[in-house]
Amino acid sequence: MSRLKLLLFASLREAAGARSLELELPAGATVADLKRRLVAERPALARWSESLKVAVDRHYAGDEAVIPDGAEIALIPPVSGG
Amino acid sequence: MDSSELPTVVSITEDSLDLDALLGAITLPSTGAAAIFSGMVRGVTARENPHETLYLEYEAYRPMAEEVMGRIAAEIRERWPSVEGIALVQRIGRLYPGTPTVLIACTAPHRDTGVFEAARYGIDRLKEIVPIWKKEVGPGGAVWIEGEHPTAGEG
Repeated sequence: MSRLKLLLFASLREAAGARSLELELPAGATVADLKRRLVAERPALARWSESLKVAVDRHYAGDEAVIPDGAEIALIPPVSGG
Repeated sequence: MDSSELPTVVSITEDSLDLDALLGAITLPSTGAAAIFSGMVRGVTARENPHETLYLEYEAYRPMAEEVMGRIAAEIRERWPSVEGIALVQRIGRLYPGTPTVLIACTAPHRDTGVFEAARYGIDRLKEIVPIWKKEVGPGGAVWIEGEHPTAGEG
């Protein structure tokens, strides 16, 4: 098991009421595992489960990507820069 | 010239956008053209869902945003090799109607070298994949604008 810190932004940050949160995931867990665990532990965030992207070490990662130990992980709601 | 020597400015800033300084930073002795796009806070929206905006509140995942903007600049250089300087700057914080929020500029020796298209590509990609968000505050309340869904593998 490893304890991961997830960075939160915008609507997700407001919904969670925090700039980051922590999750326990087994070693070798994927982005899809992370999303499942997130929604299980924080049902209030379920409405983002379809639209949410995950950035691992500042790159967008697909559901199948394995999360490396000590990675910088951020949850990215749909973006709206400009 | 090696593209690593060409001027590239990517930045997320809380300061007001300084067009002259930015243009100066991406102008070479061989530069004769610049295409500039700036977006600003629109106070009155007529299209689709007509409404008024009091202000926008921008935030960014700053280190990743600047990295992704750097990758967009590299994409521009790949597609338009004649582009000399590139600037991609996004202002964040609370911004009121009429205020410039973003500045995209590309320079080249001449105007017929793709600079217009390059700047257009820059703003389109920024809106598509850079982790920046804005909350719109109007007379009726506040709402996070949910725009594009970046695709894994991009940026």
